[in-house]
Amino acid sequence: MLACRSIRRGACSSLVWRPAIRLFATEAEASQVTPSLPPTSSSEVDEPTTRPLRKTRASLHTAIILNRSPLLTRTPTPFERAFYAYQARIHRALHNPFPYDFYFKQGSPLETRFNIEERRRERRAFGAPFGTVKLEERDEATELMEMSMRDETDESMPRIHEADLKDDLKNLNRKGQRNLYAMLRTNENGKDVWRLPTGPVEKGEPLHISAIRRLEDECGRNMDTWLVSRNPIGVYHPPKLNVSEPEAKNAVFFYKAHILAGQVRPKQSRYQDFAWLTKGEIRRIIDDEYWNGIRDMLSDF
Amino acid sequence: MRSLVASRSLLPLRIVKTAARYSTATDANATNAKREVIRRMLYPPNVRNRPSPTGSWRPDVGRALQRAIPSAQAHETIERAWKLYQRHLRKKRDAELERKFECMRKAMAELEDIDPTLFREANKTEDPRARSPAETEALKDAPSAERRAIESRMRGLFPRELKVPTDTPSKEGWQHEWRPFDRPLH
Repeated sequence: MLACRSIRRGACSSLVWRPAIRLFATEAEASQVTPSLPPTSSSEVDEPTTRPLRKTRASLHTAIILNRSPLLTRTPTPFERAFYAYQARIHRALHNPFPYDFYFKQGSPLETRFNIEERRRERRAFGAPFGTVKLEERDEATELMEMSMRDETDESMPRIHEADLKDDLKNLNRKGQRNLYAMLRTNENGKDVWRLPTGPVEKGEPLHISAIRRLEDECGRNMDTWLVSRNPIGVYHPPKLNVSEPEAKNAVFFYKAHILAGQVRPKQSRYQDFAWLTKGEIRRIIDDEYWNGIRDMLSDF
Repeated sequence: MRSLVASRSLLPLRIVKTAARYSTATDANATNAKREVIRRMLYPPNVRNRPSPTGSWRPDVGRALQRAIPSAQAHETIERAWKLYQRHLRKKRDAELERKFECMRKAMAELEDIDPTLFREANKTEDPRARSPAETEALKDAPSAERRAIESRMRGLFPRELKVPTDTPSKEGWQHEWRPFDRPLH
């Protein structure tokens, strides 16, 4: 598993100090021109001294990529299955003979059962004459055990859930092998738009706290979630709708979280619908611009 | 599978004669039968004059190998095909990780550009043993189930509830009804 890494720019130590000098310059100038906010405000943009004096604010938003990681192992491809069977046959031919009398008490039903199963495995691996029973070894115990084994059923659950058959997009049991992501549907400017839960950052709040708060606010509290790291995993600049602030750059920082139990209950006032979708399904319902922003952050399978 | 010899005998194709040959014959007046069993398992006899249940190979090792491996060239081809396939998988996996890391790096660079304080906050390393004051407060008067849930989450480490994928799903499936409780935000 990946450890939570923080990105350090130790080699460029000079860059770390530059913002302090810039703050000084803007504060001195700003106090003459416009009423200034305290320089440590969280939503301020640090302008280099070559840009115009007028401070423009980049509004920050956080969005959450809520992921349900795979519940099932991947189905092996035919090539993988054939290769594993081939290797198993070679191992079976070459391995040390099994010390039966060390592991099974002589004459016990467990030993009989093991012998029957082992003969079947031999026959399946190598074919006849491997796995044949000599006439003198056939006894009543073997026959009784074979009869009881015939009545046994496999009680494990099927890998395809009924949610897959019914295409229930809200059910978290669907597509057990894949990574599912939570998408919410909202009405923006009269158009129905699917997007990840997003919201603005409040002043003075670290981004990851804002992300958790946003998630609880928009998707409800009926979920057991885990935020992976304090670092954002990506950034997206939504296209500018109004030309009144040409310098402002809206930035949406994405955070990854896992859902461990529960279900999304979207905020009724803002969202009409939600769905748990794989990466390919997300591609089909969002517009190209948004897709280019988030495609690299999602897992392929 | 073709077999080179048509005979159906189960005798070994070749008999191995090692330098040191010993037979771990059981003592006639053995006091402890269990000890004999263990001794036979640990020091199997390697005298190949009859098929023995505990030995280095099964008695029909040659015939079994004939059935398992079609030919040396076929074996080579299978190995190369498998290695090539693994290489393709590895390249795809590495490319995906590379893209994800690139996104992360760009996001951190932008964050540093926009706001250094937030950048510094995001860069702090998490100490698994640290507990915020809000968490200690919540732990004081929480019922035992909630206390266990809060205590099991260590910052910077994976939660216990994030399970490894299994071959078949559980009988209950996903727990859609989960009762929320007041958990301190980080």
